[in-house]
Amino acid sequence: MTYTRKVLSASLLAIFFMGIIFSHALAQESLKIDIFGPGQDRINIFVAPPNPLEDDTFIEKQSPEKIRSLLKENLNLLPFLNNTRDGEILGGPEVKGVRGADIDFRKFSLSRVDMLVTIGVDQREGPPGSVEIRAFEIFGQRMVLGKAYTLHDPDQIPQMVRRFCADLMEYLTGHGDFFRSVLAFERKIGEVKEIWTVNPSGRDLRQLTSLGAIALSPDWSRDGEKIAFSLLRDNQHYLGVLNKTTRDVRVYDLPGNTVIAPTFSPNGHIAVSIDPMGRPDIYWLDTSFRMDRPIMEHWAIDVSPSFDRTGRRMAFASGRLGNPHIFVLDLESNQVRRVSYDGRYNTNPTISPDGRYIAFTRQTPEGHRVFLSDLDTGRERQISFGPGNDEDPSFAPDGYFIAFSSSRSGNYKLYLTTRNGDTPVLIPTGDSHATAPAWGIEQDF
Amino acid sequence: MNKKTFTVLLVLAFALILSFGCAKKEVAPPTDPQEISAEERARLAEEERRRELERQALEEKRLQEERMAREREMDQKQYQDVVDEILASRIHFDFDSYELKPEARSSLQKIAEHMKRFNNLRLVIEGHCDERGTAEYNLALGERRARAAYEFLILLGVESARMQIISYGEERPLDPRSNETAWALNRRAEFKVLQ
Repeated sequence: MTYTRKVLSASLLAIFFMGIIFSHALAQESLKIDIFGPGQDRINIFVAPPNPLEDDTFIEKQSPEKIRSLLKENLNLLPFLNNTRDGEILGGPEVKGVRGADIDFRKFSLSRVDMLVTIGVDQREGPPGSVEIRAFEIFGQRMVLGKAYTLHDPDQIPQMVRRFCADLMEYLTGHGDFFRSVLAFERKIGEVKEIWTVNPSGRDLRQLTSLGAIALSPDWSRDGEKIAFSLLRDNQHYLGVLNKTTRDVRVYDLPGNTVIAPTFSPNGHIAVSIDPMGRPDIYWLDTSFRMDRPIMEHWAIDVSPSFDRTGRRMAFASGRLGNPHIFVLDLESNQVRRVSYDGRYNTNPTISPDGRYIAFTRQTPEGHRVFLSDLDTGRERQISFGPGNDEDPSFAPDGYFIAFSSSRSGNYKLYLTTRNGDTPVLIPTGDSHATAPAWGIEQDF
Repeated sequence: MNKKTFTVLLVLAFALILSFGCAKKEVAPPTDPQEISAEERARLAEEERRRELERQALEEKRLQEERMAREREMDQKQYQDVVDEILASRIHFDFDSYELKPEARSSLQKIAEHMKRFNNLRLVIEGHCDERGTAEYNLALGERRARAAYEFLILLGVESARMQIISYGEERPLDPRSNETAWALNRRAEFKVLQ
């Protein structure tokens, strides 16, 4: 990874060709998507077969084909894009070149394509070669994004594709963090649970801990440097803190018997449920990971803190009404507001970075389902529909995607949906149970 | 008395004296040996008594050791029986509840009696939940279940220092199936003995 990053950062040539190829009358109208707006539209996108640059044929065909397939695979994760198939392009899917002048926009327009992506690869210096990827709006007949990369190893292709997709999503929606993110999660093998990471696209699956114990509820520090988690071993709960760079795990013994759902707040401190008073309450830890002061003390269970981007609002689950319900605490006014009213078992809150939405799980007769509550309007709606149990929702940094775990296939697996409740997409993590996804930003992406 | 009679008596007396003299010469029973024998007998009797006491003491010691060995064996067996009974003890809860049911209280009373009898017993009380809840809330609920048992044992006189609690939430089900029977079995507190 370090090698990849180093080589890519050294060789990356980011060239913006924004704007301007054709003076079409409607060229000023950009293809933009309000992912947060009502009635989200889907746009048709087509990734054209790769073309050689400055040459007639490819020296090696695998790399260009891999770039195309990965681009299609990654863009397929975006619910507002619809990948047009080769057979749907009237007159064939090929383009003569990668530039606007090489493109027959009319055939793509007739094929109802809204956006075209071209791939050019120059292998004169040897494969995998230099790569140019461009995105064109068909209606405006103009290029909206162009990037050039120099690859030294085929292993760099997935990261290059993620970078392009992040930029394209940024262009279309104003938010590209989805492709810059990495998910930490629990993976169960036998009686043991360890912390693993995976990209939202299901690539780069890695095991981070080898503790031979039960590691639960991972959460990233905002800088992506640390992962905090609960650790159950030797008849005791501990706080585990993993340094992502060194892979070093430090284990902290906290007062009481529980260490549940440690969560980094934007101020860098961890909030965690511990029970020094004989009941699980939410406390701040200091920068040395020692107990500081209580955030929420109550005779009932208080767990699962989740902070918005500013750190002003904290959602949490509490049994103070006899059954678990969702509440939100304003940390400035110290006012607690009830969020969930229906159902008898509402847990696992995750608050959107803007602090407006809270996704949580509610137990229904059919199993747990993810619901979304709008704090501004007080409205609530169901955004996952099983089967099995849908649990552990987690808002992505863009406030659009939500990862969750579900037993819909038998084993618990990770899935992606959006706050609009789009069709869940499986994140491949292997055969073992995968639960408790937590979003972090990949360092030095 | 005439002279003839006196002479006869004198002769008889002389003869008698002579007869005594002859007996002394043949038998000569000593007078001292009779006194030494009495002391010896007493000494011997004392020695015999002492030996008997020692023998009894040794026998008593042997019997005591045998008895203690039997008791130790019995204690060990009883201790092991108690440990086995504690390990097999499980108390069960309703869904999303940590309230002790009457049968749970009975089980805890037995455990408390065992704890009082064997002062070296130390326990870990584990709280567990079924899979129907969610993991983080279940970790907290498991703690409340273990704590309910812990606090009841303290009320029954068990020292808090001899017990510790841990919640496993839904991580260690007894029965991995997803049905009412399995869930009822999995909502539990159980006990481990610290050796």
